[in-house]
Amino acid sequence: MATVEIKELHKSFGDVEILHGISFTIPDGAFVALVGPSGCGKSTILRLIAGLEEITSGEIHIGDNIINDVEPKNRNIAMVFQNYALYPHLTVAQNMGFSLKLLKKSKAEIERAVQHTAEILGVNKLLHRLPKQLSGGQRQRVAMGRAIVRKPQVFLFDEPLSNLDAKLRVQMRAELKALHRRLATTTVYVTHDQIEAMTMADIVVVMRNGNVEQVGRPLELYDKPVNQFVAGFIGSPAMGFLPATTKVGSSEMVLSDGQVLSKPTCTALDGGYIIGLRPEHIQLGGNGASFKATIEASEQTGSETLLLARLADQEITILLRERFDTTIGDVHTFVIDPTAVQVFDSKTGARLET
Amino acid sequence: MSATDRARRTNFLLDVTLFVICILLLTPLILLIANGFKTPQEMLVWPPTLFPKDPTLENFHKVFTETPLLRWMLNSFLFAILSTVAIVATSALAGYIIGKFPFRTINIIFILFLATAIIPFEVYMIPLYFQVKALGLLNSVGGLLVGYLVMSFGIFLIRQNVIASIPDELLEAARIDGAGELWIFWYVVLPLLRGPLAALAVLAFFQAWTAFAWPIIVMTRKKSFTIEVGLANFQSAYTVDLSLLSAASAAVMVPSVLAFVLLRRNFVEGIAASGMKE
Repeated sequence: MATVEIKELHKSFGDVEILHGISFTIPDGAFVALVGPSGCGKSTILRLIAGLEEITSGEIHIGDNIINDVEPKNRNIAMVFQNYALYPHLTVAQNMGFSLKLLKKSKAEIERAVQHTAEILGVNKLLHRLPKQLSGGQRQRVAMGRAIVRKPQVFLFDEPLSNLDAKLRVQMRAELKALHRRLATTTVYVTHDQIEAMTMADIVVVMRNGNVEQVGRPLELYDKPVNQFVAGFIGSPAMGFLPATTKVGSSEMVLSDGQVLSKPTCTALDGGYIIGLRPEHIQLGGNGASFKATIEASEQTGSETLLLARLADQEITILLRERFDTTIGDVHTFVIDPTAVQVFDSKTGARLET
Repeated sequence: MSATDRARRTNFLLDVTLFVICILLLTPLILLIANGFKTPQEMLVWPPTLFPKDPTLENFHKVFTETPLLRWMLNSFLFAILSTVAIVATSALAGYIIGKFPFRTINIIFILFLATAIIPFEVYMIPLYFQVKALGLLNSVGGLLVGYLVMSFGIFLIRQNVIASIPDELLEAARIDGAGELWIFWYVVLPLLRGPLAALAVLAFFQAWTAFAWPIIVMTRKKSFTIEVGLANFQSAYTVDLSLLSAASAAVMVPSVLAFVLLRRNFVEGIAASGMKE
């Protein structure tokens, strides 16, 4: 187990810079998720930690060592790939024992370690099968087993669940989390799925275009996103954004269609800005600022109603925890608690403290 | 006429056509084998008989005692095996490196490899001969092998297979697991290339086994002939003794047919992969 520290990390492929000076620290034993849209550089960071790509500039520390020039095999890490990367010609047991064999461990020792790991993951009945004889979830488990068996300092996961179907993904998410609790090994987990990041990680690193946007605990990102990008990326269904203005000295936020919301308290706002509304903060009744919106689509899931509505020429999503009968084109009045409204600078996108 | 009738008639016509083609292809082969068992008198009978009236083993006896046929077959076999081993080894290594380490210089080398495929062997056969002569390798398996150690098509075939069937992650996983590059090549890449390598081996073996132009100019001593050269020699040295030539050819066919039966699947794969047969 070890702390992973990333300092001013730059990576370029030819003339194109992919990472523009990334810095963050992964505490010993933490489960950290790197999340962001595709092309944001999250997988590149993982590959740099693994040593599969060369660092252009900056430093990566694992424990007390700078590992910039250390060979992948000497970094004491294990990686689980999106497509599992199991050796197709080797059995499950051979796949899992591969790294131990390379470490020149004795046969008995390998067998014991493989057996033990297989029991943890519930694949001990599959040890003599070939990867092609396994289902997706079983392959995933074997791939994890291969990583666990050598007891590395750091686990690296590269979108390990994205090839599984939705139901299995939820199940494996829980299993992975339980596994981490049990092993308490420092884990770096790359995903484009913010729900995976939110549900599994102790710390989430949100990335965009080769920069870190925010590092924080999952709910911290949700409640206090540093900017409009993080606010829009974290949370599903996503936050709706509306341009608004406030006159000097006024206590009202005026939307572009002239509707007025009362301003969050203690906020000194003037001129134009963007407000963000979380779908679940909008309700049918109660106290707060009310506004009228036109229903564009309605999805009933039984326990909830998801509405797509048009407000001030923007689309917003509304999540009601109740059944709600409506027809498309209807205009309804909704209510939002002003303190739940988040406000962003319209130029920089930075969140303004309310 | 109903659709099923029409389909049945089409099938019947197809069967008849294929059967006729089959007979046309097999007749020379059957005739060749039959000729091997005929007496010199029966050889000259017109129209030729498909099955010998008075079968004799005399021709085979003569061929094996009067010419070093077995020696020639052994030469061919040695040449073909060594050539196969070399081609499989060079193609596997070069194909893997070109497929998985795409540096610009390596790509240029690959294009040069490919370019050699469009230059007919006959163009550089004579300069190569002088080179082999200068090296003192005439009449030796070594001289024969020059030009049969590397097959540009083989490198291409393996490269394509490496790109299509060996994901980068597999190699990366092995690197993280602690494997060195040679280890990865031997224990991860090679086992995964077993199919294409077997197909290539069959192709390479028969390319060497049926080679004619190069062996005939490099091997000048009768003892060092390959089987193809030996067979051709019947025509001048033995004044086209048809029954002897037939017997020798029939005998030579045995290992080929045997190999085909044993390696049929690889053989078909090889031809399907290359779209060519020699």
